[in-house]
Amino acid sequence: MRAERLTFAGFRVATYAILVAATLIFGIIFVKGSGTVFQQTFPFVNTAFLTQSPETLHVFEWEGRKLELGDRAFRAFIEEKGNPTVVKETYVYSAGGIFPCIVGTVFLVVGSMSIALFVGISSAVFLNEYSRGGRLVDWVRLAILNLAGVPSIVFGLFGFGLFVLFAPVFGPVPDPGHISIPLGFTYLNFSGWGVSLMAGWFTLAFMVLPVVITASEESLKAVPKGFRDSSLALGATQWETVRTNVLPYAMPGILTSSILGIARVAGETAPIMFTAAYVVRDRLPWQVDKAVDVLFQGVMALPYHIYVVSSKIPQNDYTEHVQFGTAFVFLSVVLLIALSSVILRSRMRARYRW
Amino acid sequence: MQTIEQNPPVEQNQALAAALRGKSRHRVLGLTFDDVMRYFFGGNATVALVVLVLIMVFLTKEGMGFFGQNRTNLSVYRKAGLEYVDLMRVPAEEFTALTRTLSDVRLRKFKASVASGKDAQQANEALADFDRFASQFGRAAGEVRGLISDLTEAASAIKTRAQVNADREEEKQMLLHAKMTAEAAAVKLDPVDFGKEIQAITGTLPAWREAAADCRGKLTGAIALGRGASWAQGDAQLQKVLAKAERFAADLGSVEKKMAEWKWDAPIPAYRAFTSYLFGTEWITASFWQDWYGMLPLLTGSLLVSVIAMMIAVPFAISGAIYVSEVASPREKALIKPYIEFVSAIPSVVLGFFGIAILGTVLRSLSEVAWLQWIPGFPMSERLNAATAGCLLALTSIPTIFSLAEDAITNVPKHFKEASFALGATRLQTLVRVLIPASLSGIISAVLLGFGRVVGETMVVLLCAGNRIAIPDFTQGLGAFFQPVHTMTGIIAQEMGEVPNGSIHYRALFMVGIVLFLISLGINYLAQKVVRRYRISIG
Repeated sequence: MRAERLTFAGFRVATYAILVAATLIFGIIFVKGSGTVFQQTFPFVNTAFLTQSPETLHVFEWEGRKLELGDRAFRAFIEEKGNPTVVKETYVYSAGGIFPCIVGTVFLVVGSMSIALFVGISSAVFLNEYSRGGRLVDWVRLAILNLAGVPSIVFGLFGFGLFVLFAPVFGPVPDPGHISIPLGFTYLNFSGWGVSLMAGWFTLAFMVLPVVITASEESLKAVPKGFRDSSLALGATQWETVRTNVLPYAMPGILTSSILGIARVAGETAPIMFTAAYVVRDRLPWQVDKAVDVLFQGVMALPYHIYVVSSKIPQNDYTEHVQFGTAFVFLSVVLLIALSSVILRSRMRARYRW
Repeated sequence: MQTIEQNPPVEQNQALAAALRGKSRHRVLGLTFDDVMRYFFGGNATVALVVLVLIMVFLTKEGMGFFGQNRTNLSVYRKAGLEYVDLMRVPAEEFTALTRTLSDVRLRKFKASVASGKDAQQANEALADFDRFASQFGRAAGEVRGLISDLTEAASAIKTRAQVNADREEEKQMLLHAKMTAEAAAVKLDPVDFGKEIQAITGTLPAWREAAADCRGKLTGAIALGRGASWAQGDAQLQKVLAKAERFAADLGSVEKKMAEWKWDAPIPAYRAFTSYLFGTEWITASFWQDWYGMLPLLTGSLLVSVIAMMIAVPFAISGAIYVSEVASPREKALIKPYIEFVSAIPSVVLGFFGIAILGTVLRSLSEVAWLQWIPGFPMSERLNAATAGCLLALTSIPTIFSLAEDAITNVPKHFKEASFALGATRLQTLVRVLIPASLSGIISAVLLGFGRVVGETMVVLLCAGNRIAIPDFTQGLGAFFQPVHTMTGIIAQEMGEVPNGSIHYRALFMVGIVLFLISLGINYLAQKVVRRYRISIG
């Protein structure tokens, strides 16, 4: 009996150790990051950090005080004082805010999740409603299972090879050095989309596809068979049955389960490193000349920005707040998404009991 | 006799159905709308399969050119005489290692005499004899080194010319391909006659013999001096150096033999392009001398980090799974399960940042605590190393292992447990003798999938593993855990952005991607096989 109690106590300690470790990480990042994101005075949120672009930070001594100024403020200050020479240290990306990164991440998530949900739900409908087994379906299931295990960096390489370098674009003239198909009025050149939102969307969408398919199938399976049978018995076709009697009941479940996919898409860095992310970009995604350019531009993204600020600039007191601030914002966004998924899912389970 | 009512004819049936719905069925290309939807869904379902195939196709397309380029790379290495010079460099480097040990010995002696109460000057004076010996020892390789540095330049020059010529040839081919014959003709090729050029290098064999003989002579003198000296008596390290130096002097002849047998035009067999990649111990890129693309340092780095992560993650995750499924109260369960699921949502780049900003420093200062010095590898020499990355990776794999293992244990049929209790077994006995054996296949596959997740993880290792491309020094035992390493995923993320498309380096990175892809497929296959093979035991 004592052995039993000791063993179970050991299990308990190990379990709680995991929770404590995770809580410590959350806690440290939240405590250190909240100093950047929140402030003592009204409106209590550091709006500049959330609405400005990253800038270079200049640290210098002025009349016995240490001053920390962003690039624009620094230039204005120097001009005002009559261009004195100051001894300064500069740190890139350590001033200003992270607005373009937030916007870029939103663009990436919305686009890739739209693609993933469209393809994923359709696949799940086929696998669950239409297919009657067979060789092809076995292969597809095997592929989904294996796709889920492919490392994200391999998706990045794949996206780079296929979308950035090879995907087809329309062009008025054939592109030398690439495959080019004449279509009569225009040419289809296989010269790739470049580092662009499109490339990032598709790469991320394919990465998250197994998650969406699995989640959708689970929700479709939860719809009782009687719904389908009665609809078919009334003379509805398969598609009508799916449209009116299956999808409406499965949809809430599909969407909530797919929220976890959103967390994955928003959190991954490796797949967008070579396909969609820019280290720095002055223009925001909607500041383009032609509407179609929206699709073929790279963006800044939160996860990539964290990678950049944590590996490319030194760790010290001046750079710390932008590092922890970005990590804080990013972690809160992702965890909020995940939290809503967990809560909604448990509610959903409680609500639909056929 | 009553007529049995026949089913109405098919057309009538369809017409009836259409009338009931208030619309008729249109066929486009012989397909009804329903068929179209069916094929539409079917088409989407194949996307997963198509993507998997496309991944293979594009990785292969970009990566396979590597072996051809690597063979050329190796053949230029031989033809331009770099291999020949590297033959000479082996003894030279051995000798450098000996002199380095000598300076270690000096430092130790110096410290010892300072500790015994002498000041720096006195200590240096006491070591004057030793210094004379050391400088005589060091001078022995002078001529050899001079010769090597001359030849290094000569061989590099040949290699550069060959490369320039290859570039021009490529340019010419491109121009010809674009049908610009005049421009193509203007590109002058200057093929390198390796057979002639190499004479300048192989012709130095007599000079090498002389230099080697000179080295041997001087070294023997220095060794004799060392052997006879009083300060060398009883100094084990120094005696070892002397013994090594004797062996080194005796061995110099074997290098000469190798050099005499070396042929610049010996062909490089095709398999060498594979083996030098798979089993190559060096990954050196953008070097002025010779680039090597050997995967072993990256593979061992990845495995080392993953093994550390699994050593931490497996006990915790499985204890957690057992606890939650068998011991915890429903309320605890309702808290712990979602929380751990929540942990899996932490983006890896945030964990990596945490490693750089906090954990690296914490672990390092922990390793400097006095009463922990018995642990091999402590104190850590680097803040970011395999152990730092391993600790964080453990956290990323715990949710995977935990939830799969928990499922496996929960799915053991209830009557197994009931039968065990009915026979009078305690909870612990039931757990150890019934539940764990019955769910073992599930637990093993959970561990495998967790391992797969860790091997493929990129951002944590890129930020925290230290990024030193070298095979960890396993002679230090567990100390190897605290050395900086580089990994397969990390090298792709780090170098892919900087290489020109189509270069050998670019293709080498895609080859690393292929290996990663195959590893992940292999682990998946294994995990499925384990589950399928042993599931029968549950019944």
